[in-house]
Amino acid sequence: MDIANGLRIGALGAAALLLVAGCFGGRPAEGGAAGDGPIRIGVSLPLTGDFSEPGKGVQRGYEAWAKYVNHNGGLLGRQVELTILDDQSNADRVAADYEKLINSDGVDLVFGPFSTRLVIPAAQVARDYGFLFVEPAGAAAEVFNQGFDNLFYAAPAVAQDHYNHLADAILAMPEATRPKTAAYAAMDDPFAQGTANGLKEKLAKAGIQTVVDEVYPPNTTDFGSIAAKIADSRADVVVGGTQYQDAVNLIVALRQLNYQPKLAAFSTAPTNPEFPKAIGAQTEGILSPTGYTPEADYPSNKEFVDFYTREHGTAPTEDEANAWTTGQVVAAAATAAGCADPSQECQRKMIDWLHGNEVDTVVGPLKWDEAGRPQGAHLIQQYVGGKIRIVLPAEAEEAELVYPKPAW
Amino acid sequence: MSLVFQSLVLGVLMGGLYALLAAGLTLYFGVMRVVMIAHSAFLVLAAYLAWAFTVQTGLDPMLSLVVTVPLFFVLGVAVQRLLVARLRPATLTMMSVLLTFAVALAVEGTLGFVFTGTHRRIPLSYSGARLELFGASVALVKLIAFGLAVVTLVGLHVLLKVTRFGQALRATMQHREAARLLGVDTDRIAGFGFGLGLATAAVGGTALALDSTIYPSLHWHWIGPLMAIIVVGGLGSVAGAAIAALLLGVGQNLLQIPLGTTWAQTFFYAALFVTLILRPQGFFGGRLAQRF
Repeated sequence: MDIANGLRIGALGAAALLLVAGCFGGRPAEGGAAGDGPIRIGVSLPLTGDFSEPGKGVQRGYEAWAKYVNHNGGLLGRQVELTILDDQSNADRVAADYEKLINSDGVDLVFGPFSTRLVIPAAQVARDYGFLFVEPAGAAAEVFNQGFDNLFYAAPAVAQDHYNHLADAILAMPEATRPKTAAYAAMDDPFAQGTANGLKEKLAKAGIQTVVDEVYPPNTTDFGSIAAKIADSRADVVVGGTQYQDAVNLIVALRQLNYQPKLAAFSTAPTNPEFPKAIGAQTEGILSPTGYTPEADYPSNKEFVDFYTREHGTAPTEDEANAWTTGQVVAAAATAAGCADPSQECQRKMIDWLHGNEVDTVVGPLKWDEAGRPQGAHLIQQYVGGKIRIVLPAEAEEAELVYPKPAW
Repeated sequence: MSLVFQSLVLGVLMGGLYALLAAGLTLYFGVMRVVMIAHSAFLVLAAYLAWAFTVQTGLDPMLSLVVTVPLFFVLGVAVQRLLVARLRPATLTMMSVLLTFAVALAVEGTLGFVFTGTHRRIPLSYSGARLELFGASVALVKLIAFGLAVVTLVGLHVLLKVTRFGQALRATMQHREAARLLGVDTDRIAGFGFGLGLATAAVGGTALALDSTIYPSLHWHWIGPLMAIIVVGGLGSVAGAAIAALLLGVGQNLLQIPLGTTWAQTFFYAALFVTLILRPQGFFGGRLAQRF
């Protein structure tokens, strides 16, 4: 036996050892070689296409979280490293992205993408590989009906429950001033439609008549004819199950027809900092459910707002907050499980822990049912005096609900 | 009743805007048999320039036309001379789809890079202003867009009918070889025709920006309906496209009342199918690009 042969056997042995170490890797970080490098987290986000606006917000949130964690000693003593792919708002693409992240890139953990339409295919892939899947923005009923046991929605409430506090407030109004008719316009998107439908069911049950109930495809850009229907109905309340550009275009179209409702509520768009720039002074009185306010006094929220404001010069919005929350939830699970690696055993430990425990986040303490639905409700915000103020529920109130809303 | 009338008014206004947005497409096809997928991307580019102009200077977005119209004309000539003219004549129409598809992606990518993906809207003091017309509301911004469409289309029509350049352009459309025999520099004319088409995109994009929220990928929502309009109208006919745009705009807005938005949107494509089955040369243009 010559030296070369010895080397060969040695190399073989070393390779076998590495292989074994790889298979049984994922011991706690303090336990040596397997856990010394950075924790790699894979994400696919809609950075271009229809959801690019909120997608970029989520990206800012994830990146801020990673930076914050790395500044503060990392997760399980290891640095975290994000790999973010662009799924172009495309549901086929997002599944392929997660497949790639888990399978060929070999990431340790994954975070969810933005919006129901992308969350479902992504969660499917994560489940096939036994990965924990915490997501910042898939709130529609469909997400929780697929039998995912690895999914957790990192926000206070599912889409159907977003308007709960508003429904309660409307129903509590005295008979004389209570609105009698309502018009609904919702994007054909599970999340956007879910918010409007949740409110519609509650109001209809209480006898507030539905006079317009329009659903439009996501690519709709002209809202003249939908606005004409709503204006023609003279509904007391207008509710938009909206994302962003649809809400803005619909509001302008309604104003052009001189339709003046007593109450106007739109999901998502009014929480976007671009919204007042687009609508101008006519935002006054517009309501929106929001899962987040920078003023909330949850312990970690202050740190988040300070850190984010230092980094970006502006306070975070809901998209960034939900992304940060996702990071907090996964970090809590990894810390409790004492591991952060792709092994079935570790991922299962984290999933089981989240099913049984509450996590303190920037949007408040979160806990989930068996399908991953968070057990809370959204705050209701209103533009009051040109500023976003939380008006419902009473215990979080920053300003009183303005009703009827001023003319726009 | 008032809803029907209101929808009719909205439909006419929308049809006018569609006619303006589609005008360039018919020119490119008429002059050079080029299917210009990037037209709507240039519309969005013009809309962004109008937005940036207003945000930077605080002036009315319409003033941006002073810069964008000549700029787009030059850009159009450049695109034609440097890119489209290099395609082989035998496969021009098909390859132009691929080429301009790439141009569209490049424009969209550049917009996203420069202006980010954030959805923008020009803040206008008169965005909600309106006039009453027999009980229907007419939004001022939609009326301005309609006015821009009328002025541009009439101007285009006069240019093509009356001027020597227009005659040369029409001659080039009708029979390139014959035009060349008569001394028309068809290569130059084709470049100018393309520039003219893109100049209408500058006007159209500005009109669009007055009353919509813009974002880099918006052009994909527009190219389909615009293509349907020029096929229904008769490829290469500006007047045909204008009539088709009005009819389709009104039809879509009226169908919206009984059918809802989702089905009303399919009206354009239904019209496209019917046209291709019954009258592939289009309903209003007569034979392909034979007259204006």
